[in-house]
Amino acid sequence: MKLYVKAISTYRSDRESLDIKKELKRKYKLDTRRQDSFIHLSVFGAQRLKESAEIKKDDELFLTSGVGNIDVIARTNLAVIEKGEFIKPFDFINMLGNTTSYYVATSLGVQGKNIFDISDSFPVLNSLILIYSSLFHSKKEALFGSIDLISESEELIRRVMGIAMDMPVVSSVNYQKLSLQNSDALAELEFSAHSYSKEELLEIVNRNTERTIYKSMRCKEFPFQANDKFFATDASYFINYAISNKEDILYIDFFEGRYKILKVSNL
Amino acid sequence: MKTYINNYASRSCAGNTTELMNAIYNKQTAITIDNTFMEDTPVGLGKMQYDNFFSLLKDVVQEVLESSNLKDFSETLLIVGSSVGGMAESEKHYFKDKNYTNIDPSRHPISVITEELESKFGFCDTRAISTACTSSANAFLLAKRLMSVNAYKNILIVGADALCYTTVCGFYALSVLATQECTPFNVNREGMNVAEGIAALLLQTTATKDSIEVKGVGASSDAYHMTNPDPEANGAISCMKKALDDANVDITMIDYINAHGTGTQANDRVEALAIEKLFISAPPVSSTKAVTGHTLGAAGALEAIISCEVIKRGIVPPQTALQEAENSNINLPKEAFKKDIHIVVSNSFAFGGNNTAVVFGEVE
Repeated sequence: MKLYVKAISTYRSDRESLDIKKELKRKYKLDTRRQDSFIHLSVFGAQRLKESAEIKKDDELFLTSGVGNIDVIARTNLAVIEKGEFIKPFDFINMLGNTTSYYVATSLGVQGKNIFDISDSFPVLNSLILIYSSLFHSKKEALFGSIDLISESEELIRRVMGIAMDMPVVSSVNYQKLSLQNSDALAELEFSAHSYSKEELLEIVNRNTERTIYKSMRCKEFPFQANDKFFATDASYFINYAISNKEDILYIDFFEGRYKILKVSNL
Repeated sequence: MKTYINNYASRSCAGNTTELMNAIYNKQTAITIDNTFMEDTPVGLGKMQYDNFFSLLKDVVQEVLESSNLKDFSETLLIVGSSVGGMAESEKHYFKDKNYTNIDPSRHPISVITEELESKFGFCDTRAISTACTSSANAFLLAKRLMSVNAYKNILIVGADALCYTTVCGFYALSVLATQECTPFNVNREGMNVAEGIAALLLQTTATKDSIEVKGVGASSDAYHMTNPDPEANGAISCMKKALDDANVDITMIDYINAHGTGTQANDRVEALAIEKLFISAPPVSSTKAVTGHTLGAAGALEAIISCEVIKRGIVPPQTALQEAENSNINLPKEAFKKDIHIVVSNSFAFGGNNTAVVFGEVE
């Protein structure tokens, strides 16, 4: 399966010091009321993408996340327990995945299909498969956002993600505009629905002579470079990293004994 | 590549699939008035009977496996549609410990369902769609598209949501809950009944003798308002049109519409308007949520099973609890009746203007 990247946007909280909410108001003149930090981060990434991408009304919107909007769940439950308060309407609404999609779609002015896809194994690679199959049918283009927000309690994130308590974590949002057509594309993404065993992956790695290999921080095997901080959607970051650095890469994702790969080739 | 529903099983407050269909045809609501979640405010809820939600979930999936032509699910993709997933599990931790200490990654909301099923059945891959009340309807969209590009030959769709404080109290906070049994499409309707449900359907690229085809799926995002649908019904119309185009069927070929029909003011008014505007031939329409309540993320899958049964039985479900329709221009049958039913449309609409329609039909 192949998709072509037409535009990208990236934000990492450890690389840029920004007040996202203020930035949405100041730079993009957007109303931020009734939304929480997860929605702000998602909308911010989309607005950054809009700076370099042509957004069409019928573009399809796909969002994915590692832990989703865990803060609002924690906040709501604690409020109910500690303060005896009732659930606030907007906290309840903001818990829903399509609330984030709604605000992103509204801020971009898109009215195409709109899916919040959660995969607890390979969030980015599985979403790419979904996007490919959807575009194959619709012949339209897609906006793909991958969002991970570090909550006030980093420990909570680590526990939910099942990662080591000393692993550094970071908030991140990465978007791509994706198409089945390669005209004016920045890069080609190649992936499949297949999961590989360690032995199969070793063969692929040994055959590789052209690409720099990167891996997920979940992957303890293989001596390849990984991110320096964890976020579940770092495959999306590596797509944008490869394009920004004009570097053709092979990215290895890992979850519970299974590997998946993504090839990024600059055009 | 075509997509066929070859096996399915369900549980709702009305029981298993056979019991559910009997309740639908006999207009027997399974909603109970209950104050478990809000002591001072009893509301209508669709509660299932079980000791453990996840044990029942596995039982339902096991039923599907045993009735299928598969030995196991090792070459099957699992797609879960759920709005709150394991929220009830999280609530247990929070309410018991009053802190996060005992959160177990495998009990995290949404993915807890895939984790539970993966550990027992060993699927080749798993994923979850969370778009609130369209979650498992969107699972059909994903499944049909994945099968059309030969990504998978077997896909198990599971729609599952359990009752929990968050949904009951959350919908109450939005002032859309009915204190009595819901009455979809009635002029004097009060609101919706939150309910729980589990529905599992095995989709395959080859048909068996009892298959129903997933002929088309359409989705739209009207992005009109966070909680209210576009009052002109453009989003609802758009997704139904797309589903019909995808299925390559004309609007005059639709024999029955399984409406989203939650019983809320906004949904029923707009959905009825959409059906009135689009279907000039006025096919029979009913909402089975008057029997089951609104099973949220499970609704699309549960009502897919109802749609399959309606096609196989050739009996149109009546609109339970219908007294006086708000919109008399749509065809809401007050009693069940026999009819050759070849093609059914099932609607699911969610917050944020997230709309999905699925077209089911006999195998040609």
